[in-house]
Amino acid sequence: MLGINARLARPKWLALLPSPSLRTREAIAAYLFLTPFLIFFSIFFLRAVVKAVDFSFYDWRLLRRTIPYIGFDNYRELLDDEIWWIALRNTVQFAAMTVAGTTIVALAAAIAVTQPIRGQGFFRVLLYMPSLFSVGAVGLIWVWLLSTQFGVINYGLSFFGIHPINWLGDPDLVLPALSLTTIWWGFGFPMLIFIAGLQGIPDHLFEAAKIDGANGWQIFSHITVPLLRPTILFVTVTGVIAQFQAFGQPYIITNGGPGRASYTVIYYLYQMAWVAFRMGYGAAVAVTIAIIIAAITAVQFVLIGRRVEY
Amino acid sequence: MNFIRRSSFYKHFGVYVFLIVLSAFVLFPMLIALSQSFMTNQEVNRWPPKIVPTEPTLDSYDTVLTQQDLRLDLWLRNSLFAATGYTVAVMVLCAPAAYAFARLRFPGNRILFALLLATIMVPGQVTLIPNFLLMRDLDWLDTFNALIFPGAANVFGVFLLRQFFMQIPKELEEAAVLDGASYFGRFRHVILPLSANALTALGIFVFLFHYNDLFWPIIVTSSLETRTLPVGLSILNQSYAGQYRPMILAGATLSTIPILIVYIIFQRRIIKGVTMTGMAGR
Amino acid sequence: MFKRLALVSLLLVTLVATMVLSFSAPTIQAQGDATPAPTATPIVAEIGSGGGIHISFWNGLTGSDGVTLNEMLAKFAQDNPDISVTVEMIIWNTLYQKLQTAFVAGEEPDVFLLHASEIPQFGSFGVLRDLGDQYTSGGGWLADDDISATTMSGMMYDDTIYGIPLDNHGRGLWINTDMFDAAGISTDPATAPTTFEGWVELFQKLTLDGNGNNALSPEFDAENVVQWGYTVGEWPNVNFIAALYQHGGTFLSEDGKEVTINSEAGIAALQQEIDLVYKYHVSPPSAGFDTWQGFGAGTVAVLPTGTWYRNQSLLQTDINSTAWPNWQFGPQKATWFGAHTFMIPVDLKGEKLDAVLKMIQFVSENQVDWAASGQVPARLSAQEALDPATYPSNILLGQTFSEYGVQDPRSTVTQEMLTYLDAELSAALNGMKDAKTALDDAAERMQEALDRG
Repeated sequence: MLGINARLARPKWLALLPSPSLRTREAIAAYLFLTPFLIFFSIFFLRAVVKAVDFSFYDWRLLRRTIPYIGFDNYRELLDDEIWWIALRNTVQFAAMTVAGTTIVALAAAIAVTQPIRGQGFFRVLLYMPSLFSVGAVGLIWVWLLSTQFGVINYGLSFFGIHPINWLGDPDLVLPALSLTTIWWGFGFPMLIFIAGLQGIPDHLFEAAKIDGANGWQIFSHITVPLLRPTILFVTVTGVIAQFQAFGQPYIITNGGPGRASYTVIYYLYQMAWVAFRMGYGAAVAVTIAIIIAAITAVQFVLIGRRVEY
Repeated sequence: MNFIRRSSFYKHFGVYVFLIVLSAFVLFPMLIALSQSFMTNQEVNRWPPKIVPTEPTLDSYDTVLTQQDLRLDLWLRNSLFAATGYTVAVMVLCAPAAYAFARLRFPGNRILFALLLATIMVPGQVTLIPNFLLMRDLDWLDTFNALIFPGAANVFGVFLLRQFFMQIPKELEEAAVLDGASYFGRFRHVILPLSANALTALGIFVFLFHYNDLFWPIIVTSSLETRTLPVGLSILNQSYAGQYRPMILAGATLSTIPILIVYIIFQRRIIKGVTMTGMAGR
Repeated sequence: MFKRLALVSLLLVTLVATMVLSFSAPTIQAQGDATPAPTATPIVAEIGSGGGIHISFWNGLTGSDGVTLNEMLAKFAQDNPDISVTVEMIIWNTLYQKLQTAFVAGEEPDVFLLHASEIPQFGSFGVLRDLGDQYTSGGGWLADDDISATTMSGMMYDDTIYGIPLDNHGRGLWINTDMFDAAGISTDPATAPTTFEGWVELFQKLTLDGNGNNALSPEFDAENVVQWGYTVGEWPNVNFIAALYQHGGTFLSEDGKEVTINSEAGIAALQQEIDLVYKYHVSPPSAGFDTWQGFGAGTVAVLPTGTWYRNQSLLQTDINSTAWPNWQFGPQKATWFGAHTFMIPVDLKGEKLDAVLKMIQFVSENQVDWAASGQVPARLSAQEALDPATYPSNILLGQTFSEYGVQDPRSTVTQEMLTYLDAELSAALNGMKDAKTALDDAAERMQEALDRG
């Protein structure tokens, strides 16, 4: 902390050296502020990423003694693997449905709980509650709700004469079912972000619009959405990053099934790295997933974020 | 809230309807789970499904809390300890870094920050194996160090706090500069005291994230002394969910209560904290 | 502002401290004997006085069988006050992963229980101790001829014995006797059908729609089934392996180098399972149906499960049931079984090794007690000593294992191969692929895994 305190407690002997300019001192202070973070970041993130990229060029099985270097073979095999593409397609579908659903529900909920109504605080707590659960608890609750034969959802539908729907056994329904589960679990956090964003919009804008005779939808589409653009960008970008890494839901609720209809890319990675114990291949999968997420994020920034500055 | 007039109920009728429907969607699964935790193993397997237990029983809670081999108490202690330690570590590392990015001019500020932000796109699985091996080499396996430090340099934390610090008026700091405060003094005595809401919001988010984390703790812990709540519950859950469902739900209920209390206490502060960060775009 | 932060932090700390204090029990108490649990499964048990030699023991017995084992270990600790045991129970899948990472980290337990089919994999890694010296042929205490030849072959890899078997556990059927009575079908296992057609008819009689018509009736409404005769769900790969061998097929070729599941026999075996769901409508599709819950709720008449279901049926359901041997869908008899097996890390030495071996010997010599778990003791002498009144299912199913049991394939990549098989069987049983496509796809992947070695 010596440098940071330099202004107050500059030791006498330092006076013999030429005094650094304000700019230099500010920069030194900045680097000192950053140092603890960067040390941890380098050890546990940068180093690990470099290692993972390195691993991805080896045929490394966890307990094998020989670890042959195989160049890009892991990546070649990955691009050739039909199951990888199935998993990627599932993940894109799942992430798209989940992020869209979460964003809509969260925005609607945020608008509702920022109205001057009774029970604002109560609803804010209640609607965030599912986000407090661990994925294990969520899985346990929903696998039972969605069960074809014993599920409460199908039981409820039976009163309307609807035959049991095979939520988790129909390849076309399993991803929507998992998506619904995830929206239930996860819309609380984006809701908070939207509440914050809505509270940041000056009231006089809404009032002016009302005086001009704008209806609810016009206010929503001409004031709320444009002004929330950065918030929507933030929510969708972090949402895609999170949902692309969905693992607990297929792992606990469906085991990736039926068939491979709910394999996600991280579930695929898990199978390769922790069931087949092909750690090198798993590393190649992980690196590829990171590249894909980066590409999608870049596209999102171009589409929604042109005028947003962080 | 006395500005809410009686007529506002009718004015906001649609809002109430929407909120009640949404609340039902949110509440129903939780209530069913809660209700089942008071059933017997036999009753929970009946068809048609029982929504309300015919004879509510506390047996499952009793089993979960008293059976000598199910150590919910230890798991909870470990989880709270590890999550608290992690939260403190995140704050200690991220707040100074965020201050530097928000307020100090130094070569590479913008580029370094952009690079850091880009790393949130790297899935956690990438670092999993290298970090597991590092834990082994550091002899940290099965210790709280392994649960606390690897994720402590949290980029999301730096991002959130930087956005917040940038909203604080510069004039406040300038006054401190005139009083001869050092950079650290300005950070410590001007910025931090103004950031209680943002630090609370960040604290709750990272605490929750850590409290519910599953895969990493499974891999790095192996003994009762470090096993966390989600690990304990997941082992129960995966084993024979159909078999001991009420008991597992009782465990899940008990494990959610502490964080629910924390959330209710800090709820307003979290929203204020998030509002004042540029995260929400303002 | 800062004062409020301090106040809030204080509140938080107090809250956390209160919770910790109110929950925290005294540090793990040394237990003279582990109390048998009425319902729940222990995750970690501390057994023994805590003094002297301390050994750690990992296993996957997270069901009621874990309770049985802990009771046996408690007796062992009473006899050996100088030894204490920490038992960690982790569900099999996770245990299997954790063991590998633990070996990499040098954090492995002193002794662990795995399935015999995992011996080739761990054996090929060179992390297992040669246990040949424990058998009489190597100068030890365990008579080689007290273990059946099929079980014994499972203990070996590269002509070395790496395991000491605890039990045989395997496939059997649990039948709802009330439903059988109502349908006018005898519950005597001797009357069980011996052909696929016979079994289909039995299932059809036991499958009822909402109007009370069974699946043989022309008015039967397949869209509205309230009672299923059968269920294909639990462990489809186990059903498949049994049916494959019943039709004369094999999992691997003789030399173990080729995957042969997609033979005519394999396709016929899988097609029958598919037909039970989609042609005869006597079983629900596999996904989204919890088979144990179905049986427990009284909506399934015949539950294909295994020896491990004994305690579940006795304690956790109010269904009247009895065990039957596995079905016979093909021309030959076959049923699947495996063996829980003790293994020791190669690096274990000195007094810990002695203590571990002493524990294994104690459990092995008291295998009759292990029958309470539902499983069949591995030692033939223990099987003969079982009381028929108490252990009817163990005896009945144990005989089928020794007469016509088949095990998982023996390969260093068995787990990986079964993963691929599971996904394809799931596709076939949920109507996404036909039997041949599913098995061809599975075989292709499994062959790749096998070739990688």
